[in-house]
Amino acid sequence: MKGLLHYQFANYIRTHKYVPPVSVFIMILIINYTFIPNPILDSYSFTSLVLFFIMGWVTITILHAEDQGLQQLTILHAKNKSGYYLALVINCAFVGLILSIVAVVYPIVFHVFKPGLLTIHIVIGFLAHFSLVILSIALSLFFTRELVKSNVNSWWGVISILVVSLALAVAKADILKVKILTWILPPLRYSLEIMSVGDKFTSVPVLVYAQFAWIFIYSLILITIFIVVVSKSRKL
Amino acid sequence: MDVFIELKNVTKKFKNISVLEGVSLSIPSREITAIVGKNGSGKSTLLKMIGGLTKPDSGQIIFQNGEPVRIGYVPEVTPVVIPFTPREYLTYMGKIRGLPIEWLQKRINSLLEIFHMEENQNTRIEHFSKGMKQKVIIMQAMLEETDLLIMDEPLSGLDLNAQTEFERLLISLKERDISVILTCHETRLLEKVVDRILVIHQCQITYTRNQHIQDEPMNRIVFELSNTVSLNLLREKVTIEKEKETSSGHRLIELSVSKEQTNKIVREFLDRGATIQLLAPLEGENDFYDSFKKGVEIQ
Ligand SMILES: Nc1ncnc2c1ncn2[C@@H]1O[C@H](COP(=O)(O)OP(=O)(O)O)[C@@H](O)[C@H]1O
Ligand SMILES: [Mg+2]
Repeated sequence: MKGLLHYQFANYIRTHKYVPPVSVFIMILIINYTFIPNPILDSYSFTSLVLFFIMGWVTITILHAEDQGLQQLTILHAKNKSGYYLALVINCAFVGLILSIVAVVYPIVFHVFKPGLLTIHIVIGFLAHFSLVILSIALSLFFTRELVKSNVNSWWGVISILVVSLALAVAKADILKVKILTWILPPLRYSLEIMSVGDKFTSVPVLVYAQFAWIFIYSLILITIFIVVVSKSRKL
Repeated sequence: MDVFIELKNVTKKFKNISVLEGVSLSIPSREITAIVGKNGSGKSTLLKMIGGLTKPDSGQIIFQNGEPVRIGYVPEVTPVVIPFTPREYLTYMGKIRGLPIEWLQKRINSLLEIFHMEENQNTRIEHFSKGMKQKVIIMQAMLEETDLLIMDEPLSGLDLNAQTEFERLLISLKERDISVILTCHETRLLEKVVDRILVIHQCQITYTRNQHIQDEPMNRIVFELSNTVSLNLLREKVTIEKEKETSSGHRLIELSVSKEQTNKIVREFLDRGATIQLLAPLEGENDFYDSFKKGVEIQ
């Protein structure tokens, strides 16, 4: 697994496909914080949503980074298709982790927040970013070339699913009153609700952590489904 | 000649499409075998079965009488982007295979030597010609010690120079006791180096012959033999190229033997109760008849 992780990451870096999404993200961070001071959770909520979209981009580029011919050879060497895809997902999560940390630390380092920053803000801020990172990876995986033949459809698919998730989270539409759907639809709205409470609190109820945990569990279930499906497909 | 790979009655279907039907053949070791056939005739499928990547629906593939064979498999791929140097790429692949690092470095050194790639080991593969990329792709299949190298369409896309170089490479692999099986959709290519050509046609291996520009003339012999007779002793002396069940517990056996050995082999078969169905020179049949005519004229 270590070998796979190293190789895939090195390949991703060498192909320079990370440059556009990462630089766009950094630019949005800089622009967002040009005026000071800024509310804490509101800002984090915004950047976590931006990261949610950027991670769709990152996921597609990481899963498409290796030449398709080479990929066949690498899977033969790994002797394990699911391990190969797991390593790719871990690399996505790793890039997402770095970007989450950058998004959380940047405004603190440059002192652009209103006074009153607490450790709890940082914890919630990080959870908000990283949970959406994992959710975005999980949703985007299903639009990579393993399951979607054309590149154009990959991009449209990812953008659509991410936009729809966001729209459903914001709209509070009637369909959300159907109990089952709240379990099936991407749990993006939990993060948004958590982040909209304002900055004046000193502790968070356990429920909040439970909601973040649900976002992670939901994503892990999707990721597992993806890995099982692609390792079963007899494409060689 | 020891039998290296033996296919016994191998059948393979995909849904409704039959690819191979009851194919039996044997391939001796330390030879270069080419599998020829039209697109979609099942060359790649046969290679994958020999390489252990797919299983036949029925029948058996036996290696070296059951001993393990170390196989390197080169699929039909044409990677465009490889953003590494040969050394980097091979090291990554070796680590992914879980090979011990020190051993791996030594192995990569010797592969670079065999493939004459020492000078290019630190150049990014992207800048390589098609032929050089191909070499890297073959090297990655040989990261572990290899007895048998399987290559699917290794010539596709190579220019004439690269093809000649590839022929030389095949010869040097053979000198190192590595057996090679490759597919190729044209018979004429590689004619100089290939020892044996198998033609797939309509789910059968229809024509197999020792393709050597032989030093010695060969005869093709077809016997009919009862199924109860064991051929194990004979198999050590000759390579049976084709076996086919006929009705009533008999089978047809086709083999090529050198002219010199023909009498001896025929006697051995006749002693086992075989009947001769065909005995003819393998190549230059016309020469054979010509010399016959000359004989008549002299009288
Ligand atoms: N995985 C598969 N599923 C279904 N059909 C297949 C599969 N692989 C090959 N075939 C079919 O089997 C036949 C032989 O294919 P292949 O071995 O690739 O031929 P060749 O390499 O000689 O061009 C073709 O008709 C092809 O469509
Ligand atoms: Mg093929």
